Amino acid sequence: MTVAAGLGYALIALGPGLSLFAGVVARKPFLVLTLLSSTLFWLISLIVLSGIWRGFLPIKSGTWWAYAILIITSVALQEGTRLVFWRLYKKMEEMLDAFADRISKPCLSLTDKMLISLAGGLGHGVAHAVFFCLSLLTPAFGQATFYVESCSKMPFFLASALIALGFLVIHTFSMIIAFNAYDERKKSDQIFVPVVHMTAAVMTLVNLVPGGCLIGTPLLLVTAVLTLQYCWRVACRRLTEHQHRQLNSN
Amino acid sequence: MQITEKVLGWIDWFKLLQGNLRDFVQTRGPNRNPPKLRLWSVSRRGGAREKSPRTIDLPLRRMDPAAASPATEPAAEEPLCASSVLDSLGAEVLAVMSPVSICMALVVLLISLLSPPSSGSAGGSPPPVTAATLVYLESPSDTPAQKLLGALLDAAVFVALVAAVTFVLVALYYYRCTGFLKNYMRFSAFFVIFSMGGAIAAAVLRRLAAPLDAPTAFLLLFNGAAVGVLSVFASAVPILVRQGYMVALAVIVAAWLSRLPEWTTWIMLVALALYDLVAVLAPRGPLRMLVELASSRDDELPALVYESRPTVGPATSSSSYASAMGSVEMQTMTDSGRAGGSRYDRVEQDEYASRAVVEMRDLGRGRSSIGEINRSRGSVLQMDNLEREVPVTSAELPSNQGGSSQHAVIQIEQHEEEETAPLVSAASTNNAASDEEHRQSSSSEPPLDFEMFESTRGIKLGLGDFVFYSVLVGRAAMYDLMTVYACYLAIIAGLGCTLILLSICRHALPALPISIMLGVTFYFLTRLLMEPFVVGASTNLVMF
Repeated sequence: MTVAAGLGYALIALGPGLSLFAGVVARKPFLVLTLLSSTLFWLISLIVLSGIWRGFLPIKSGTWWAYAILIITSVALQEGTRLVFWRLYKKMEEMLDAFADRISKPCLSLTDKMLISLAGGLGHGVAHAVFFCLSLLTPAFGQATFYVESCSKMPFFLASALIALGFLVIHTFSMIIAFNAYDERKKSDQIFVPVVHMTAAVMTLVNLVPGGCLIGTPLLLVTAVLTLQYCWRVACRRLTEHQHRQLNSN
Repeated sequence: MQITEKVLGWIDWFKLLQGNLRDFVQTRGPNRNPPKLRLWSVSRRGGAREKSPRTIDLPLRRMDPAAASPATEPAAEEPLCASSVLDSLGAEVLAVMSPVSICMALVVLLISLLSPPSSGSAGGSPPPVTAATLVYLESPSDTPAQKLLGALLDAAVFVALVAAVTFVLVALYYYRCTGFLKNYMRFSAFFVIFSMGGAIAAAVLRRLAAPLDAPTAFLLLFNGAAVGVLSVFASAVPILVRQGYMVALAVIVAAWLSRLPEWTTWIMLVALALYDLVAVLAPRGPLRMLVELASSRDDELPALVYESRPTVGPATSSSSYASAMGSVEMQTMTDSGRAGGSRYDRVEQDEYASRAVVEMRDLGRGRSSIGEINRSRGSVLQMDNLEREVPVTSAELPSNQGGSSQHAVIQIEQHEEEETAPLVSAASTNNAASDEEHRQSSSSEPPLDFEMFESTRGIKLGLGDFVFYSVLVGRAAMYDLMTVYACYLAIIAGLGCTLILLSICRHALPALPISIMLGVTFYFLTRLLMEPFVVGASTNLVMF
């Protein structure tokens, strides 16, 4: 039973990521490498962040503004990481195109680019789920469960698994939105991504209020669903545009 | 403890990093000569397939841009794009990384399973007396200075021992005592699996409270160990079994070594990384001498080395004859869990015509309509056009993940031979990878002048690297899962860096230093900086 519970929590957090990995990413070795490097990127950003915040820890419970500052700096830094990742990806894309040219193969198609951005986003999301949820999940495999004070209705593991799921979806698909936005130089989407990330992060502040996790977690999941839907629209629009362009060119 | 020479498809890509494209283009470009019919008949001998009319069509290939209608051209480009660079690139890297990952995962699983659930810190049982704890045995009550000094002494002794043993091995190899060396390796493999593996298996059984009677256990263990011994050097054993045993050996040794006391482990890892650096890179370093000796003799390395790709040594031509009856077995075996290709393999045994259609469908992925429509005449042209691309695909597709396109390689071997030959001789041995696949799949062909590449193909990673990566991760697993993930990522990143360096330097490189240094750094960074931060944030359910 306890192992089942632990596995269940892990699958709640990582299930969609796992199926995305098995279904899409694992088929192409290059995508796996992209995923690994993006995970490493996220980890480095987290280490830098914790290095900055190390002096101010531990934060006293009840000082929500400290957490607010923490979240703002964190999101800012991570969005910066995304920009760096985009720059690197751009360089790599040039190299890949040149390489494809050399071996007389066509260059990267739109779907290829989207796959790469999906792998990159999945890397961020998986890293988040792993470090914030999975690494604390070990006790869930044991005998008891654990409640935090401010959230007495839901086990801590369930809450963190749900939050990790929300962030996994947000990270994964906002990377696709962001890459498309950078590619098209579309300002609104470029702003959309940090805004969604910040909104989601701020929503977790609700969990600090006693009983807040019953509101905060569903809100976060709704944000995740919205991101997913927005990403779907972006992808559809780009693909149909691409098709039209191709038809017109023929 | 080293990665040895390799032939990588993805090296092509990294050549772009260096910007020296010129020789690449030159060797690749103008050498598209008409096929050698002699080779055709030779290579088709086993397959009993008739010569296809396609070979006669080959000169037409030059004109086919005119022949292929412009309307189909972009449509034909697009699906190929999906199967383009992305599919194949990096498969070599992954072929090394995945066994390393599996090994580490198994070690972490073993350690978290075996560590007593009550005591959180390093195991309750006293650490075993091994070569690494000859001088000093850590006890929790010692002061840090004492621990550090003792661990340093331990590590020094251990590294000295390793160095001495390596020198002895190199000397033995130098004086051509290869038989003794191989038997020694077999003995050690047997010993590791039988005694250490047995002990670990017993511990696992005890932990799971699963009873197993002694005769059964003994029989299973003996059989396992016997197959392991056979698989260490005999190349007749399926490569998957061999790779599996290599990983199993590494897991057992690593699980054993990770029982060392904490300080000793860290210092020892760092010392070994430094030793590895010296031993592989220094002019008279033992491992470097070993690798150079082996490559000058065209011989297998007399060591436990994980090979990421199947090799068919010259001595095993009989076995490859046997498996060449159908290349199906070979293919599916090397397929490593990806059974997608076998369907096409079977089709390949059929007539030429049907096979061609199938392949077109598979290559183009959704281009089938085109193939279906103008199959009769124009398709021959188009197919040739297609297959001009195929060799490139296969050169990039080393680890058998598209079984079908390999078969495409076999077919066009004839015109490909001309292309690869200058490539191979011209310093960049990129296509030898695909060459081997030719040999592999159509191994009914007698090995011509390719033996010299036979031994040096694929990325080889010493088993020691597996062991010490896993020791690092296992040691991290005794602290927390978070450090495990950080260390895993760091090690994989280090391995990736090493592989990039390998593609630039093109000689044997030490695989330990970068990975171990990154791993140790990330371990302490995670433990000291990240853990309080992340735990503090996430226990309040504040995440970002």
